[in-house]
Amino acid sequence: MFGQILGKVTNAIVWVQSRLGGRIWLWRCDQVGSNTRTFWRPYIENRGRITIGSDVRINSHWAPVELMSGPDGVIEIADGVYINYGTLISAERRVRIGAKVMIGNFAIIGDTDVPGFTDRPRGDVEPREIEIGDGAWLAARVTVLPGARIGAGAVIAAGSVVAGDIPPNAVAGGIPARVLRQAQHADTAARADRQAVDSAR
Amino acid sequence: MTARDGDWLTRWRLRTCEAVGSDPQLRGRPDVYAEGGRIRIGDRFRLSSRPVASHLASGPGATLEIGHDVAIGHGAAIAAYEQVRIGDGTSIGPYVLLMDTNFHGRTGDQSVQHETKPVLIGTSCRIGSRVTITRGAVIGDGAEILAGSVVSSVIPPGACAGGARARVLGRAGDAACRWDGAAALLPELLREALGSPAVPELDADLSSFAWTERSLCTLTAAIERELETSVDADTVRRTADLRQLVATIERTRRANRSR
Repeated sequence: MFGQILGKVTNAIVWVQSRLGGRIWLWRCDQVGSNTRTFWRPYIENRGRITIGSDVRINSHWAPVELMSGPDGVIEIADGVYINYGTLISAERRVRIGAKVMIGNFAIIGDTDVPGFTDRPRGDVEPREIEIGDGAWLAARVTVLPGARIGAGAVIAAGSVVAGDIPPNAVAGGIPARVLRQAQHADTAARADRQAVDSAR
Repeated sequence: MTARDGDWLTRWRLRTCEAVGSDPQLRGRPDVYAEGGRIRIGDRFRLSSRPVASHLASGPGATLEIGHDVAIGHGAAIAAYEQVRIGDGTSIGPYVLLMDTNFHGRTGDQSVQHETKPVLIGTSCRIGSRVTITRGAVIGDGAEILAGSVVSSVIPPGACAGGARARVLGRAGDAACRWDGAAALLPELLREALGSPAVPELDADLSSFAWTERSLCTLTAAIERELETSVDADTVRRTADLRQLVATIERTRRANRSR
């Protein structure tokens, strides 16, 4: 009984904290949607443009999430995205993350050779745009290389290095990531997900 | 947020280094400690420690030399117990592990021991994310190591290498030599088609394999699927070595893309 009440109080505190955190820690972003929450403090270094949609959750519990954009860089994070801890997203040109994408911990998503240095003279290597389609799931420790495009609903296995294009609704993995099979319940899962969100509203 | 030259914090964090050039920039809080060894760092050094901390260590009597214009991503683990040298203008991606020792003696002996072999990295190299560089690795000037690779041998200058253990895939900067290029994928596709345990080297003679109708068919189908290029079985048979087949496929891919 007492445990249940304590659990509810803790949940409420975490919820309030994460809502307030979304307002406080994301103030450097150009645009933040409603009900976007952060758990602990992410690092934001915004020299270009960073837009975050609504219902986005960013977890920075054990290692912070870092978003950084260079002077010409644009990071677009659509609605309902979940980003787990230790992830770095760095854009010198453009990184677009579609709606309801889930990103596992310690991922690296950068459109330059060495992500994390958006102010560095880059020599002859041009940054290349990254696009992650709606509803994709990136598992833990995935590295997304410059120029990669991940299709909607694709699943990337843990530890993979993604270069080039991954088709929609594919399950891909390995170094380099190759299509392993078609995501079997892609449609069913998406439908169930949509229903769950609709009923929660 | 970024500590800059003249910044007491940057100087404090690099205080154990024997020499640090002009304008070092650190992001986050790296651990840089010379435990009786020497650390020398050139001009315009960049080291990121966010979101995950990096550490640079130099053991007793060892030297860790970092040239000018070197950038190192976050989560780096660099340890020198004899000699580690990183040349001018080299960039190193996040989560790189670079050590000239494995900290171990014989199997089963849990004491910390150092059987070292120097690690030498040339100038203007590009080392990708999550690369592991173990003792005895020598990477030539201008070489490129693809993300997620493990390097423990000699990579010649200007080469592009990838894989765990890294194999030379071609010239650095070449379009064929990226993780989604033909050079990286073809040996693996060939291994799968032949059902052989080992991944063939790029200079492998294609006629030396025991081709059957079935394996040829599997290979051409895999090339079609993974590289979006159709190659007929006769072309595969007539091509001298794997490297030449890579060139043929890349030529077709380029033509397809420009069309």
